[in-house]
Amino acid sequence: MNVHASLLGLYQPQDGWLFRLGAGWKYLLLLALTIPALVLWQWWFTLASLVLVLALLGSSGITVRRALNIGSMLWILLAILAVYQVVTLRFDQAVTSPGNVLLAVLASRMLTLTTSTPDLLDALAAGLRPLRWVRVDPDQVALAVAIMVRSIPFLLGSFAEVRDAARARGRDGNVLSLIVPAVVGAVAYAQSTGEALHARGVVERGSVDSADPPGRGSVRG
Amino acid sequence: MITLDDVRVAVPAIRRGDPEKVLLDDVTLDLAEHRIAVVGANGSGKSTLLRLLNGLRTPTHGTVRVHGHDTVADGKRVRALVGFIFTDPLMQLLMSTPVEDIELSLRSVVPGRSGRMARARELLDERGIGHVAHQSIYDLSGGERQLVALTSVLAVEPSIIVADEPTTLLDLRNRSALEGVFARLEQQVIFSTHDLDFARIADRVLVVDGGRVVADDEPAPALAHYVRLMA
Repeated sequence: MNVHASLLGLYQPQDGWLFRLGAGWKYLLLLALTIPALVLWQWWFTLASLVLVLALLGSSGITVRRALNIGSMLWILLAILAVYQVVTLRFDQAVTSPGNVLLAVLASRMLTLTTSTPDLLDALAAGLRPLRWVRVDPDQVALAVAIMVRSIPFLLGSFAEVRDAARARGRDGNVLSLIVPAVVGAVAYAQSTGEALHARGVVERGSVDSADPPGRGSVRG
Repeated sequence: MITLDDVRVAVPAIRRGDPEKVLLDDVTLDLAEHRIAVVGANGSGKSTLLRLLNGLRTPTHGTVRVHGHDTVADGKRVRALVGFIFTDPLMQLLMSTPVEDIELSLRSVVPGRSGRMARARELLDERGIGHVAHQSIYDLSGGERQLVALTSVLAVEPSIIVADEPTTLLDLRNRSALEGVFARLEQQVIFSTHDLDFARIADRVLVVDGGRVVADDEPAPALAHYVRLMA
């Protein structure tokens, strides 16, 4: 599985201004780029927002080709969305529906392509700090999000492997034969990740930068 | 020093009324040698034995102590002392790139993100894999992944390394490289393997069969026993 073709892409250090911008500002930029298009729901605004996000990425050295390298699965999904709207004669929706999905993905990639995971983790933990009042540990939530991001390429790769295995046995027409092994594999993967967290003591040891001792205010039972 | 005292590990039967399944039974050991190998057939109990050593699995009966710390009562301390390496390093690496994964390990010992990132890069350079620091963990070779996993574990300076079949997914070159790394480690290393040549680097070999330690000796006699057992 080539992670570069995955949904959120991979951070590679560069010199562009987006790489230097604080992660918190980039989270705000992400919201500023996606929410207006979702609220207005106008084809021309969606197109303009797409051009803007590609221009922002381009201004920091990320080419259109790399920005749009979101994997064939998502392109197929976007095409299905567009075709469905055309068939139901809602031509403007054929741009806005898939366009807004693509906009959200590209705006998210703007964050993940230009920010290292530790930066993302710290910014997210800082943003979630008020949740300590309801006994949620922001460091653990941020870690969970980081692990989720790392898991997407694995899960997509594992689905592709299941599909190939089913095809090799001539059972690729059977949806159940694809879903069941993929779900079982995902559960096994989640279990392995839990074991790795436990074995490495990442959660229980916490961070020396954390104001509170590890585990305090945690959602763990 | 790790001590196992009359350890038994059992799991409930799937069907009600069936007897519980015993994974490991009657295990009493003192593990003090620098290099200890555990060999045995698939399903013999090797992984269960290794997982007991850092509290990933807890005994149903008996006690496991690491430098005097009980793995159940003092699990947090035990996991700080014992680093665990899984067969498939991809399951163990939690972040998207090697440098980020090692930075995560260092969070408990090095203050400040920039200091941790610099230290992580240093550790990768020392291990000879600095060039993969920002590559995706999915794009690394099996050998590079195993070295990253080992570097990540060693970053927090555990006093004991436990490795569950670390050479299974490696080709001959990477297996030799890992053998060299293991030979240079100051820490006590306890590993399981199906590779009898790799097991010969140990000072002591335990043979596990049917959930019991059936031989415990120097490599030559212990491995001879294992070969006879498998014949």
